[in-house]
Amino acid sequence: MPNQAGDAYALTTICPLENDAHQDRSVATVIRQRLKDLPLHEHSPFARVPNLYLCRLFVLDELTYQGSPARLDRLRSKYLVFVCDLHGPLDPFLAGLWDNAKETLASIFAFCVGFKDVRDGRTFAAFIEKCQLTTTFYFNGSTDAPLAEQLKALYLKQEFAKFAMDHQGEKADALQRAFADFVKRVEPSNLAGPTWRAGASTLDAAEVRA
Amino acid sequence: MSNIAGKAYAMNLVTPIRGYLAPLNKLFFWLVGTPLFKSRLQGLLTLSMIHYARWVIVRGDEFPRVEEHGQGEDSVYSYMFFFSNFNGTWEQYVDSFSAAIPSGLDLLWYKNVGWPKAVPELPFHAYVEHNQITTDYYYNAYPMAASNDVKSANKVKDALEAFVTSTRGATPEEFLGQYNRLLKSLQNDLSQMDASPIVSLASEAIAKRRRDGDRSNRRTTTHGT
Repeated sequence: MPNQAGDAYALTTICPLENDAHQDRSVATVIRQRLKDLPLHEHSPFARVPNLYLCRLFVLDELTYQGSPARLDRLRSKYLVFVCDLHGPLDPFLAGLWDNAKETLASIFAFCVGFKDVRDGRTFAAFIEKCQLTTTFYFNGSTDAPLAEQLKALYLKQEFAKFAMDHQGEKADALQRAFADFVKRVEPSNLAGPTWRAGASTLDAAEVRA
Repeated sequence: MSNIAGKAYAMNLVTPIRGYLAPLNKLFFWLVGTPLFKSRLQGLLTLSMIHYARWVIVRGDEFPRVEEHGQGEDSVYSYMFFFSNFNGTWEQYVDSFSAAIPSGLDLLWYKNVGWPKAVPELPFHAYVEHNQITTDYYYNAYPMAASNDVKSANKVKDALEAFVTSTRGATPEEFLGQYNRLLKSLQNDLSQMDASPIVSLASEAIAKRRRDGDRSNRRTTTHGT
C-alpha cells in the first residue's frame, strides 16, 4: 500500500478551488489570510486531532516554468494542498479530524469545489477521498507509533535524562528510593498522563497531568 | 506563511516530468524497495534529520475532479510532488541530500524537466529554490523534538518499562548494577529537549509579527470592551 510505511500513513490531497472572487479578493488570497490567522503549536486546532504527527497547507496557484525550451503549463484551477503524516488507518483519522477541527476545516476549505456538500464527518471523508492522490513512494525516517505513545516517550526521555543527571553518584539504597518516587510521578505506562501536550513548543507549555 | 514549526522544516517541491517518462519514474520508485536499487538510497537512512518524506507522481488528467463536470488539468507534463519534514536548515538538508545520495537523487528525479543533477551543488540549489513552494500553514505535534529525539524517546520508554519490571524486588546493590547498565545502554538516547532556537531571520520576523499582532489584538479587544 503506497500510502503507508508501517503504521504511518501519508495523506496527500489537492483540492480544486472555485474560481470566484470573495469580497473583491481572490479565494487564494482569502485562504492564505485565514491560514496565516490560525493559532500555532499547542494552540493549533490540529493539536486536538488524534494521531496527527505533522500537517501542512498551502495554495498551489501556478506551476513553475523551467525556461526555454520547456513548455509553459498553466493550471485550470488553483488548488488547496493539504498534506498529513499520521498514525493508523485513514477513516478513523478523518473522523477525528472532523470532530476536533470542524470549524477550522469549514473556514479553510470553504472555497474548495464540492465542499458545499460537506455536512458531517462522513461527507467530509468522502470529500477528502475525492481530492486524495496516491503516494508513489513514502519514506518513514521516524517511528510509526500512535501519537500518544510518541508524546509519552518524549516526556519520559526528558524526565529520565533529568533524573539521571540529578542522581549521579548516589548510593544504592537512596537511588532505589528516588527511582521508586520517580516512577510513581512519571507513570511510564500511563499514556493519559503525565505526558507532553501535542504541539507544545516550549517546556512551560508541555506537561499534561493525567 | 511558514515553512518552519519548531525544529521541523516543511519542503514542497513540484517538478515537471515529460509525460512519456512518468511511468518510468514510477517504476524507479517501485524498484527502490528491491535489492537491486536499495543501495542507491542507503544514504537516505543515514539522513536521520528526516521525519517523513513522500513523492507523488500525477498526470494532468489525474488531478482531482471533485464534481462530475470537474475540469482536471490538460498539462503538457506530468508532475512530481515532493513533500518532506526534516530538522535543521534548508542548506543543511539540501547539502546532506546531495552529499549522501547523489546517484539516488538523480534516479528519483530522473530526467525531470530542468533537473541539473545532484552534484555540483550550486545548480542543484538553484533548481530546488526555483521549484519550491512556500507552506502557508505548518503544524508539528512535537516542535521541540528532532526526528532523532522521537526515535531515541521510544527506546528510552521501552527500556524504562522493562527496567521497572526487572528491578521489582531487587536489593539496592542489584538495582544499582542494573541501573548502571541501563544508563550505559541509553547513553546515546538521553538528552534534554527545549524550544527550537531561531533558525533564520525570516522565521524570527514571522514570530515577531505574530507577537505584535497578538498584542495589537489584545489592545483592540481591551479598548472595545
